[in-house]
Amino acid sequence: MTVLSMPGHGRAGEAARAWQRVRAIARRHAYVLARSPHRLFDVTLWPLVDVLLFGSLGVFVSHHRGSGSIAFAYLLSGIVLWHVVYQSQIALSTGLLEETWSRNMLNLMVTPMSELEYALGVMLFGMVKLFVGVGVAAATAAAFYAFDVTTLGFDILPVAAVLLLVGWVIALFVIGIVLRFGSGAEALAWGILFMVMPLSGVFYPTRALPAFLQPLAVALPTTHAFAAGRALLDHQGLQWGQLAIAGLSTLALLVVAVAFVSAMLGLFRKRGYVTRYT
Amino acid sequence: MLRARGLVKAYRQETAVAGVDLEVNAGERVALLGPNGAGKTTTLFMLLGVVTPDEGWVELVGERLPEGRKRALAQVGFAAGYLPLAEKLRVREFLAMYADLYGMPQRTTAIAAALERFGIGQLASALGTELSSGQRTLVGIVKATLHRPRLMVLDEPTASLDPEVASRVRQGLLELSRQNGSALLVTSHDMAEVERLCERVVFLSKGRVVADGSPAEVSASFGHRGLEDVFLHLAGEEDARPRVGTRSVRRGRP
Repeated sequence: MTVLSMPGHGRAGEAARAWQRVRAIARRHAYVLARSPHRLFDVTLWPLVDVLLFGSLGVFVSHHRGSGSIAFAYLLSGIVLWHVVYQSQIALSTGLLEETWSRNMLNLMVTPMSELEYALGVMLFGMVKLFVGVGVAAATAAAFYAFDVTTLGFDILPVAAVLLLVGWVIALFVIGIVLRFGSGAEALAWGILFMVMPLSGVFYPTRALPAFLQPLAVALPTTHAFAAGRALLDHQGLQWGQLAIAGLSTLALLVVAVAFVSAMLGLFRKRGYVTRYT
Repeated sequence: MLRARGLVKAYRQETAVAGVDLEVNAGERVALLGPNGAGKTTTLFMLLGVVTPDEGWVELVGERLPEGRKRALAQVGFAAGYLPLAEKLRVREFLAMYADLYGMPQRTTAIAAALERFGIGQLASALGTELSSGQRTLVGIVKATLHRPRLMVLDEPTASLDPEVASRVRQGLLELSRQNGSALLVTSHDMAEVERLCERVVFLSKGRVVADGSPAEVSASFGHRGLEDVFLHLAGEEDARPRVGTRSVRRGRP
């Protein structure tokens, strides 16, 4: 029998192979993005349109209200930070959807790749999309509205990190639902963000929400992350309390999301749902 | 190489597999046959760990599933005639992805050799969307054999191929099996192909193994001259009998 020489044995060898698999998945999705012009809209056109919309709204408000300049800054910083959640969520959830659209799930499931390696590969690729998408949003804000996100300083990075994690957590819930209910549930990949966005105080303090929605808003980690972001604009420094609430509640949700996806994957195998994609 | 005992799978009220025992030895070429709905694909999916059996167990390349799934699948190749090629990838990119998933070094050389084995080296730069269904099937088979697996599992691999290409696939699979000692488990509705490719056939009917032996022995056990007649015989029974039967296994070999 011919035995192929695989990279070393033992833990180091297995780690090398795991990294090889992670990169393979990231590269696969990069090819898909590069060859699907309409999917490039996610990281180019939509960030640009969003910043144009909220930037122009901010300009209009600033001309008619005394507090206009801070509203303008809230709107623009909010939409740039929102794209951290949007890009990380969309990249991960549409990564799985791409496998269902191209009927590639069965092929992947019969390889030695683990579910975690697959997720890490899509996340790695998602980071590239995130940098491009948020970069386009930030560049548009700077070019069209002279709003420089970098003036918020390095303190914005932990806020963005929490929002990145929130995006992945939401994506895991979407993936779990798609595994259970099939492609019919894929509209959630985009729709769920439109439910989270108004409740999270992306552009305004949550006290602006109807009273009955405010407790729900407070329960969302995004609310506290965006509050920390606005505090930076208000020159109040990094609000570690808000950030801690956001970070810890996101980690708690991450644990729930991983358990949910694991359970749905078990159900997927038990009920033979893979046949939906063959 | 592969051992399964007492596999049972039901989807809602429908029993797809009703207690299948199966064994494939190293280097052995086995066909899993039966009419549509006999439980072949569900059985294959359970053998590969894609579908969890309701009852029974699977040992794949010496690894018990599901615990040893990852180690086992590193030594197994799978292709199905009904699966498309990922559309946005060129053939060499698609194969490179799977070479990476199997942890292969020097993948460029291996990909070129694997494409040549099935006579489709010229397709390396083609996009999935530019291939005919037969060419896509061939690329799928190349993907399954790329890492020279110890067990190849092929679900209707030649369903969309013309006779000349199907013959080339058979030659490639036989060559790989002989060179590497790879075992082969294949499903097919082409009985002539099975007789050329496989030394043992296992017939399923209504989710149960009803015959197991060499093509000649199994044909004789049913009183027929070839597998085609056995297939038609079982397909007729499938239409006439209730879903879960109690037929005993016809052994071609003592």
